[in-house]
Amino acid sequence: MIEALKLCKSFRDKKRGEVHAVQDVSFNCQPGKIYGLLGANGAGKTTTLRLLATILQPTSGTARVAGFDIVQQPQQVRSSVGFLSTATALYGRLTAQEMVEYFGRLNGLDEVTLKARIDGLFSRMDMDEFRTRQCDKLSTGMKQKVSIARTLVNDPPVMIFDEPTVGLDVMTARTIVRFIRECRDAGKTVIFSTHVMSEVEKLCDRVGIIHDGRLLTEGTLDELRQRHGLTDLEDIFVRVVSDGRERRPLGDNQ
Amino acid sequence: MNLRNIGVVYRKELRDMLRDRRTIINAILIPLLAFPVLLVGFVGVAIFVASRATEKDLKVMILNEAEAPEVAQRIRRELSFVMVQPSEDYVDAINNKRLHLAVEFPAQMEEKIRTAPAEPHTVKLYHFEGQIRSTAAARRVERIVNAYRDEVIAARLESRGLDRGALEPFTFEKENAASADRVTGSILGFLLPYFVILLSLTGAMYPALDLTAGEKERGTMETILASPVHRGDLVAGKFLLTLTFSLVTTSLSIVSLAATVLGGAGLIGQVSKGFVFAVSGTAISAVLFLLLPVTVLFSAGLMAIAVYARNYRDAQNYLAPLMFVVILPAMASMVPGMELNARLALVPILNISLAAREILTGQYQWGLIALIFGSTAAYAAGALVVVARQFNREEVIFRV
Repeated sequence: MIEALKLCKSFRDKKRGEVHAVQDVSFNCQPGKIYGLLGANGAGKTTTLRLLATILQPTSGTARVAGFDIVQQPQQVRSSVGFLSTATALYGRLTAQEMVEYFGRLNGLDEVTLKARIDGLFSRMDMDEFRTRQCDKLSTGMKQKVSIARTLVNDPPVMIFDEPTVGLDVMTARTIVRFIRECRDAGKTVIFSTHVMSEVEKLCDRVGIIHDGRLLTEGTLDELRQRHGLTDLEDIFVRVVSDGRERRPLGDNQ
Repeated sequence: MNLRNIGVVYRKELRDMLRDRRTIINAILIPLLAFPVLLVGFVGVAIFVASRATEKDLKVMILNEAEAPEVAQRIRRELSFVMVQPSEDYVDAINNKRLHLAVEFPAQMEEKIRTAPAEPHTVKLYHFEGQIRSTAAARRVERIVNAYRDEVIAARLESRGLDRGALEPFTFEKENAASADRVTGSILGFLLPYFVILLSLTGAMYPALDLTAGEKERGTMETILASPVHRGDLVAGKFLLTLTFSLVTTSLSIVSLAATVLGGAGLIGQVSKGFVFAVSGTAISAVLFLLLPVTVLFSAGLMAIAVYARNYRDAQNYLAPLMFVVILPAMASMVPGMELNARLALVPILNISLAAREILTGQYQWGLIALIFGSTAAYAAGALVVVARQFNREEVIFRV
């Protein structure tokens, strides 16, 4: 499971000065459930997920991922997490198999287990045909499959997806959506960020709306509908974000 | 430190690198072929230019042939000369390269040599200073005129009943007393430090760039940072690979340069009259040993800079000025009279350049060599600390 506790991340930017990318973000994701982090571009989704994956270190606050603290035990956290985003590219000069092997070995798998895992993954995902082809020469869909295999090779209990369908064609995006569902069905804790409302409605058990680095509201889709008296998620999102903007000065003073 | 993971990173990066044609060219082909190609190229071009330029069609004008008909006749018989009719505009013709040389004899030269032996004469050669064909023509005319003068002198000595020895009471004879490896060493000592230092930098440059800025550019940085590998192990694996390439490039270039000098001995041998060339294995090994901390310094230093860059091009912009920072001190071995001392032994790169020159000529100042190795190792350790820190700084790693 994932338990974020008052996560904060600030950094200095030459043009904007001190930027508070994530402020006091707390939420819970349970095993066998999908948590959707919904927000516009620049809302703080990517930074939050990078903090959970220990790619970035929080300025304050912390989170527990699969029972490990992201500040104190970053390596154990990374061993328990499969992280997939549009920014996690493949090594173009490695073959599909070598790519997955590399990450299996870095996850500490022994050669026998690794081989069994890879054989299983490649046949399940219809990847045997391009197993020995270099990643540079694969189609976008094939590349996505290799990335998925990369995140699954050590069978992590937690999956983090940062806008995994951005820029993908319909068919490839469907593969990813199906894959996210399979992860949930396998009992994994899944969190994913998106700005596509339909994806949230299709997939998520719980939703958090993030804006300007703050988690403005969260709950199941039904809870959100009841709380805001609206049925359409897009309407809820717009309401929450504009309310958040208006209330900000008050909130900051509290 | 997890040695297994360092090994996993190293092997993966090695495989990745070896699949890139640019790596093979930079790390193996260039150091192996640079020296033979340079030597063959330079010597070949020099010989070609010199022979073509001086073998034929040298345009020579004799301004007043009647004053020295005998000498003029000999000049006319020179096969490489094309005689040009005397004219007033010979200065213009030389400036415009229509004429290579004009010869002017003093009035009644040959006549007076016979009748008034005490009177001195001057033969004037009008040429184009620094122009290879003009110089060659002048040299040939000088040789012809000198031969004629020698004949005049011999005839005069004979008429007075004197021997040639009266003019040459003694002659010189030079013999090389230095051993073959020292002579070769002094040639190598001039060239090798500069080229080898430069090649060990360029050998490290491509992998250092590819493994840092290249990884950012291709979008794999986040992929690898999301894996459980400790950043220290990741840096160590990448650094060791960069170091490997630098060492391979350095070793290959040393072997290639030594082989080129030995192989080129035939060419150089003509100049030094069949002298045998030899390279001391001990000296070469000592130079390689001394270069070890430099390759560490270059590998770590280049990585520390390149990881800061946003992408490949950015990194190249940062590293280009670094070439000059390295080239200048590396050229120390080519500066005559610059001697190694304790203070210079602390100046990175320059110290290695000077020490390598000394070692190749058979001088081993152990105290200074230890100081150089120690100081360079300290700089290298500093660079390693910097590169490890760079990989832990979010503003560096995520600077895109």
